[in-house]
Amino acid sequence: MSSLSASNAHLQKKGDTAVSIHDLSVIYKTTLDKRPTLRNRLLHASRGKKQTRVVHAVSNLSLDIPYGSVLGVVGANGAGKSTLMRTISGILPPTSGRVELFGNVGTLLALGVGFNQEMTGRDNVILGGLAAGLSKSEIESKFDEIVEFAELSEVIDAPMRTYSSGMFSRLAFAVAVSVEPDILIIDEALSTGDAKFKTKSLDRVKELRSHNRALILVSHALATIEEVCNEVIWIHKGKLISRGKPKSVIADYKKFLEVGSSPMIDEDV
Amino acid sequence: MAAFARSELRRQNYGSAFGQVWLILNPLLLSAVYFLLIVIISGHADKARYGHLTASLFIFYLVTDAIVAGAKSITSGGRLVLNSAFPRLMLPMSAAVVSLFKFLPTLLVLVVFHALLGLPFSWTMLWAIPLIALFFLFALGCAIFFACVNVYFRDAQNLIPYLTRTLLYLSPVLYEASALNSNLQFLKNINPMYPLLDMWSRVMVHAQLPNLHELYQALLWTALVLIVSTYLFLSREREFAVRI
Repeated sequence: MSSLSASNAHLQKKGDTAVSIHDLSVIYKTTLDKRPTLRNRLLHASRGKKQTRVVHAVSNLSLDIPYGSVLGVVGANGAGKSTLMRTISGILPPTSGRVELFGNVGTLLALGVGFNQEMTGRDNVILGGLAAGLSKSEIESKFDEIVEFAELSEVIDAPMRTYSSGMFSRLAFAVAVSVEPDILIIDEALSTGDAKFKTKSLDRVKELRSHNRALILVSHALATIEEVCNEVIWIHKGKLISRGKPKSVIADYKKFLEVGSSPMIDEDV
Repeated sequence: MAAFARSELRRQNYGSAFGQVWLILNPLLLSAVYFLLIVIISGHADKARYGHLTASLFIFYLVTDAIVAGAKSITSGGRLVLNSAFPRLMLPMSAAVVSLFKFLPTLLVLVVFHALLGLPFSWTMLWAIPLIALFFLFALGCAIFFACVNVYFRDAQNLIPYLTRTLLYLSPVLYEASALNSNLQFLKNINPMYPLLDMWSRVMVHAQLPNLHELYQALLWTALVLIVSTYLFLSREREFAVRI
């Protein structure tokens, strides 16, 4: 992936579109039962009860993200931020509208995806790297860098079940940021480890900012968003409420958090 | 997929020496139990019968193991399904590959048993290779089907032991196909595993060539199971992330 990234580097200039989202809506059905079973389905069917609900996670959202930008995404829980990120990454299909990507996309939506607790840290670097889209030779060439970044060189050959949650998160974060795609989506992955590691991971994200890369950062840490991003969007109930300079959007969002809902936000636009 | 399958094997402790011994010991003990049962019920036993029982049970468990592991593959891979864009088919496929890796060492036991029981050896036994490939593809089709069904109905995996047990009794595993009652001959046409298992016994126990009619039947059943399950899976896989 990074080789592709390198080959694309000269093609992408600051200002070129990296992600183009046009009139995107994501609507999906989900079951009311936490664990859907045939037994419950038959029981509910015999009583004539509906067992599913329709979720309008993203509604008619349009957005262009250029290369060279670091876009912050803010919004309350359930605003549709993660659904939007999953749709951009191709995990969820759009119900209507269009998402176009002009480069390869890497996601950091959760830490430790593909990790196996029974295997050693070393094996998990390989597994996690493969799950993130790196080739085995790419992982091998980045291995020392990953272990050094995670500060786990002494325990890298121990099974991951013996790691503390902080050690697990550090290794997972180090693997995830070793992928250097053209478009990188980070969803709530910066609140990892202790204060020292948080600073270190934030610095790594700042390093990833470049003219030939677009970063999308989802976080509830508004200070981080304001520090790292050059543009911010605020999403509420799947709709784009505002877009602009971090300071002004975050100020509006903070006001909303203090006041609660406002007619402007709840209006069915 | 190979790395994923390897890690799953290691998670199940098959990377260790004791894990590998258990891999062989488990079906062996099972065949001993069934053999005892057959001896008690029928009052007699011959070498070919024990050879048939062992060979058939080993390969039957390749299929049932793939079904059980495949059924859980999507629901237990929730974090991966929710957070990565990759072909979801890879999960039941690696579950089936793991089952194949777990089956392969038992082939060695079969060969030793075959020699100890004094059963015939012949070049025709090389037919075992394409037959294992057919069994694997059939197991893969079943794993894909149950992986998809289990996303929508989580209790489907509770039904699997009953389904596989029924399939065991309706298949020529505890008895040879030639011993099937004339009233039950219709089973040959409605049980997808019937032709596969009969061919397996002919090749591995009696060192005979497989029956051509059964080979066509097995190819058709396997293709049907694989095509239907893959179609079902691919038509539904984009919903998995919101159903888990």
